[in-house]
Amino acid sequence: MKILAPIRAADELEMLASSGAEELYCGIVPREWMERYTAAIWLNRRAPQGGSLETYSELKQLVDGAHRLKLPVFLTLNAPYYTAEQAPLVLDLARRLSEQVGVDALIVADLNLLARLSEEKLSAALHVSSVAATLNTEAIRFLLQFGPTRVILPRSLTLAEIETIVADTRGQVEIEVFMLNDGCAFEEGFCATTHHHSVGAFCTSLSDMRAEFEWNGPVFTRRRLAWLSRNLADYREWIWYLNGNGCGSTPQGLPYGPCGLCAIPDLLRFGVASLKIVGREASRPTIFGVASLKIVGREASPFKKLASVRMVRDIVDRARAGRPKLAVIERAISLRQTPQHCASGYMCYYKVC
Amino acid sequence: MNWSVHIAGPEDLEGDLTLTRFAGREPSARLQPALRMSVEAAGRRWGEVRFTACAFGNEFCERLLPEPEMLRAAAAAARSRGLAFTFLTPYVSNDGLARLRELFSVLDAGEVVFNDWGVLNVLRREFPHLRPVQGRLLNKSLRDPRVMGIYSQTEPAAGAASATLAVLQRSNLDCESYTGWLSRLGVAGVEMDHLPQGMDLSFADRGVSLSVYWPFGFISTSRACLAAGLHYRKPDKFQPGAPCRRECQTHLVEYAYTNSPFGNRDQKFYLKGNTYFYVHSEPMLRSLFEQAASGRITRLVFQPRLPMAAS
Repeated sequence: MKILAPIRAADELEMLASSGAEELYCGIVPREWMERYTAAIWLNRRAPQGGSLETYSELKQLVDGAHRLKLPVFLTLNAPYYTAEQAPLVLDLARRLSEQVGVDALIVADLNLLARLSEEKLSAALHVSSVAATLNTEAIRFLLQFGPTRVILPRSLTLAEIETIVADTRGQVEIEVFMLNDGCAFEEGFCATTHHHSVGAFCTSLSDMRAEFEWNGPVFTRRRLAWLSRNLADYREWIWYLNGNGCGSTPQGLPYGPCGLCAIPDLLRFGVASLKIVGREASRPTIFGVASLKIVGREASPFKKLASVRMVRDIVDRARAGRPKLAVIERAISLRQTPQHCASGYMCYYKVC
Repeated sequence: MNWSVHIAGPEDLEGDLTLTRFAGREPSARLQPALRMSVEAAGRRWGEVRFTACAFGNEFCERLLPEPEMLRAAAAAARSRGLAFTFLTPYVSNDGLARLRELFSVLDAGEVVFNDWGVLNVLRREFPHLRPVQGRLLNKSLRDPRVMGIYSQTEPAAGAASATLAVLQRSNLDCESYTGWLSRLGVAGVEMDHLPQGMDLSFADRGVSLSVYWPFGFISTSRACLAAGLHYRKPDKFQPGAPCRRECQTHLVEYAYTNSPFGNRDQKFYLKGNTYFYVHSEPMLRSLFEQAASGRITRLVFQPRLPMAAS
């Protein structure tokens, strides 16, 4: 089971590798894409500015450096779809990334692109993005026709569902799951909204909208209204947790936000291939030591990546060493020193039994 | 172009099959004005509508899958009224897929709308007598009603704005390689929502059969359900796929976009269970009907309720 870390610049390499990252992923948005489509059309699942590299030379430097450290680099081409005008541009980009830059895998969500790339027989492997919403074993079996080496499961799968899928697909494809930092109130692959900076994420903006109930069950009483209102308040609190506790961190700088650390012993036992840490937009560490930067409206920090990788590595090492599950969970909860947030039940990707 | 109506059960097919009667099925007083406006707009454009098909099922939640007897009864009612029958299915877990297998075995023929690639895989392998149709959740066009309409209001768009709008009005259906692949898989057609930014349906000129829903479009959906949280302890709420008591059937949440940066602060969104919806405006309906009249839309599917009704 590998630790997959986000990266945005070559000068993050040493920091991530020495902290325990074993695989890397990133995005690129060439300048010509931005000139053609503005910031409204994303080439991958991160806003064009801040979350991705911008030049091939930067990316080549990153990939070569990673390979010297024996770390594979995966690249996101995971917009939900590309049109007929965009598809040739993206295919050309994929060829160049694979054959010239040397990325190890392309992360793809659009089935048309997946099909086209499978015909190209590129050197880079294909990973199916979580945006493809493979929620069941049959969906993965269907996508095996395109020859992916890995499928990234959506965040919404439970541990029991992950266990079944890993068992059902063992030996046919690797399974990657989310581990830290990125929540989604919706099923990402079935969310038709934008995170464009002008409006922000739909889920978080809902919390600021006026909401009214219309009851069409038995008699609507004041007690029922209070019941519905309390549930809505809980829902808004849940979204706050999904959003990294309001994009926050502990006093020690460890990131809040959705977390799967307690599930690592189970995920290791199931045979999950990789644990994904989210947060590509965290900036290059040229001003390392500064606690945080505001980039594209999101709190992003070079320290966040470092801290995230170290947290995951700490728990993975204990699980690999065969420490008792309960001891590993206690360690995971102790890392942030904020057990009240763990106890809320809203910060976990996976409920551990 | 033909007309279909989304029914909640066989009882919906008793009596006159008219838009006005169907529109009265929505229990929400908040949605009734939009439904009345939609029916009036359709009446002005089309006169009396004659339904030749009906849809039954749910696209958004496996907890709302019908019992086999209800599916059998709905299909029989459609047959008795001379209507083609379409069974709508949601995205599913392994457990949900097992339930769908039971339901598919009830059907002798007809269309099944899939919104999950695993469902298509099962249909092709185990139920080849059923005709698969790609559902609207697998059409990935953005339809965020907060902002997408803004893109089409800056006419005439030019340069990057034009390229941006073109992308937003299309999807991967735009690619002949994709529609050709669907066709080779035996997928009989595709379904869509009407988009706030407008739709470029030129792909339909390649002979792709297209159904479009009205007057509701989906915004987003989730395996973590707000309504299902009502009966859980706080720390156990909003867990993906958690069992429920179909609490979604008792209420609706209406959101007013009061925090819009654009001025569309009177816009409303509706949450029913695990899924958010927008309602088509009158200009949207007019443009939809124009496109239907142009021949690019094969079927308009009228949904007289938010499509979350338990059967």
